[in-house]
Amino acid sequence: MDAQVRSVLRRVIRRIPNKNIENLLKKWNCLSTDQLCALDYTRPKWMIVELVASFCEDNSLNLKQITNLEMMYHIENPDQGVWHACQLTEAQDDAVCVDLTQFKEQFKAHLHGVVRHISIKMKKHEDEAIWIRIAWGDNFSKPNHLKPTYVVHHLHTSYVFISNLMAKHKIFLCQALVMATKHGSIKDGHLSTRSLTGMRELLLRRYQQVFPNAHSSILQERNTLPSHPCIGKEHSGHEDMRHQMSCEAFGHGPTPKLETAVYRLETRYRGNDNQTLSDREEFFRGVVRFSSSSLLDSLRHCVASGMAEGPVTPLLSAITQRGRNYFVITDKGPSVSSQASAQRA
Amino acid sequence: MEARGSAVNTPASRPVTRRSKSYGRSCVEAPSYFWQTPGHLTVLKIPTSRGAAKSQLITDKVDPEHIALLVKNEWKLSYVTPLHHFRHTQLKSYSRHLAAFIAAEKQQGVAVEVGLEAGFKVTFTAVLGLAETDEDAETVFIQIQSKPAFAAAADAPKVVWRGWLTCVNGDPEYLRSLPPDFVSLPLFCTSGAESLTTLVKTWFERAFDCNFGSLALNSTTLNWLAALWTGCHPTCNIRHLKLAWSLPTQPPMDVSYTVNPQDAWELWNSIHPEESTDDKIDIKEVQSFISGLETHFFRHFKIYLSAGTLVKVSTALGSAHLDGKIKIGNSDYITTLLTLLTESALLKMPT
Repeated sequence: MDAQVRSVLRRVIRRIPNKNIENLLKKWNCLSTDQLCALDYTRPKWMIVELVASFCEDNSLNLKQITNLEMMYHIENPDQGVWHACQLTEAQDDAVCVDLTQFKEQFKAHLHGVVRHISIKMKKHEDEAIWIRIAWGDNFSKPNHLKPTYVVHHLHTSYVFISNLMAKHKIFLCQALVMATKHGSIKDGHLSTRSLTGMRELLLRRYQQVFPNAHSSILQERNTLPSHPCIGKEHSGHEDMRHQMSCEAFGHGPTPKLETAVYRLETRYRGNDNQTLSDREEFFRGVVRFSSSSLLDSLRHCVASGMAEGPVTPLLSAITQRGRNYFVITDKGPSVSSQASAQRA
Repeated sequence: MEARGSAVNTPASRPVTRRSKSYGRSCVEAPSYFWQTPGHLTVLKIPTSRGAAKSQLITDKVDPEHIALLVKNEWKLSYVTPLHHFRHTQLKSYSRHLAAFIAAEKQQGVAVEVGLEAGFKVTFTAVLGLAETDEDAETVFIQIQSKPAFAAAADAPKVVWRGWLTCVNGDPEYLRSLPPDFVSLPLFCTSGAESLTTLVKTWFERAFDCNFGSLALNSTTLNWLAALWTGCHPTCNIRHLKLAWSLPTQPPMDVSYTVNPQDAWELWNSIHPEESTDDKIDIKEVQSFISGLETHFFRHFKIYLSAGTLVKVSTALGSAHLDGKIKIGNSDYITTLLTLLTESALLKMPT
């Protein structure tokens, strides 16, 4: 094993937390049973790193096997780093006929054609997701395995999820994706979050949505606190209505995990009756950033508790309806309307 | 309400008001220093208007090296009651005493080896020029450096803790009413390990018979800062006006609204025109400014920011957090910030 391989291995093992490492090494199947038994997971991390490194050295493992370990770890624990969503558009007629083998061949062929040194690994996960690991090099240097880009794509959907992509490689990746999936172009999805699971749930609509319905069963499902029969809640009607609105906008039950939403405001000033400013032509510029450990839960509670006035403004419901968390809000047309509309940047 | 800065001469016939002070332990002072003033309202009034933030080339009045010590650090705020028998002339002796105290406290429970250097060097410096009025006492800056036990002579000692006591534009009536042996430096700013802060406070409490307390800012102070700093935009680019609220949702949500500085200034200017002859800014104008921003936000998101709390205000001139943490970005407007903070400290002090 040369120095580069050793450093990649060390970095991979160091990054895997102790609780995952035992199972991962077993699944990896590159160390013998004796070696696996010899590892004591209660030891400090640096000891484990050294031991595993020496075992790999003894077994003469190569770079391919080591990057395989890293990939396995990422597939099992996808919610790390920052993921960005992109959307493929202008599907060609035969886009639906693209099968896995075709996609793999085209993708690899294109990238190998444009980047001199590159290392691509693809794996299909049981939930139909294709995971791609790309280590980028250039004309002079070998692929850098310490900072790989990860790409996740569900074939025949229009979404691609990307993590850790440098600006200079973006064009190559985009071209390869467009060609391999037989689409016309790819654009920024304006959605970024730490949780890939959350992102997929949101975009592929895998959370419990609520649709406006005259006889909504939601109201009965709510477990209200048991109260004395002689006590009547004055505002129970309002409460139920707010709860209904909040669920329609943000879903029912566990929501996809988003952390932030950013709105760039370029609208005219709409504060309290302020003569000088309301007549202004120029925009009152600002940036609003919402952040929380689980943003959709917070917003839902905001609406349900009355901190937000109903009906839920399209600016907020656009997060779930459009599946994005970055917006540029502008006034529509020259007249000052009371509603601002969310537009694509 | 008396406006800040207006010259008020206490007529000779007016009785001097004194505040009653109670101390934890029995005092050995002569009883004539303390008057009981039953039913007397506190001398300090919360001002409803104040002058606009004025830029000063503070480097004219204060040594630039001293200014550099104050800027760009994050300071935790406390208030302190007046110090008894504190002399600005004894700073060197205070340095030695505090160093010895810290060394002794740190060694409690540890076997003392003869010959091992204690390891702390304390410096008290007087930062002259920050005081604005005649009644303000001069600022005192304290620095603690650690000397590692086995350091070579050439090793520069590392600064591990900094703190400063100050009084800027303190209420003149209150300051004049203090008995002659007391010096009031009500604002205490610290940066460094909490353990050292506690030691310094304990030493002060023992040496000067004073009391410390944490100074949390209230939303009115933050509102004033937002308005005052925005008003400075023509003379000094504030780069942005960033306001951060915390909403009590489950889980809690933070909302930060960063307003373009020119637009924020235009809003402020429409409420309090720059050319107005009256130099005073009224609290109602400040409230109108903040409420304007909250309403603009509401029109878009339909969320009532008043359901939450304004926790932080920041511009290029500095930042202030509700927990009592500040950062000074630009020394030109330092007087305005310190005036507000001194006032908060004086108001927070137990009477």
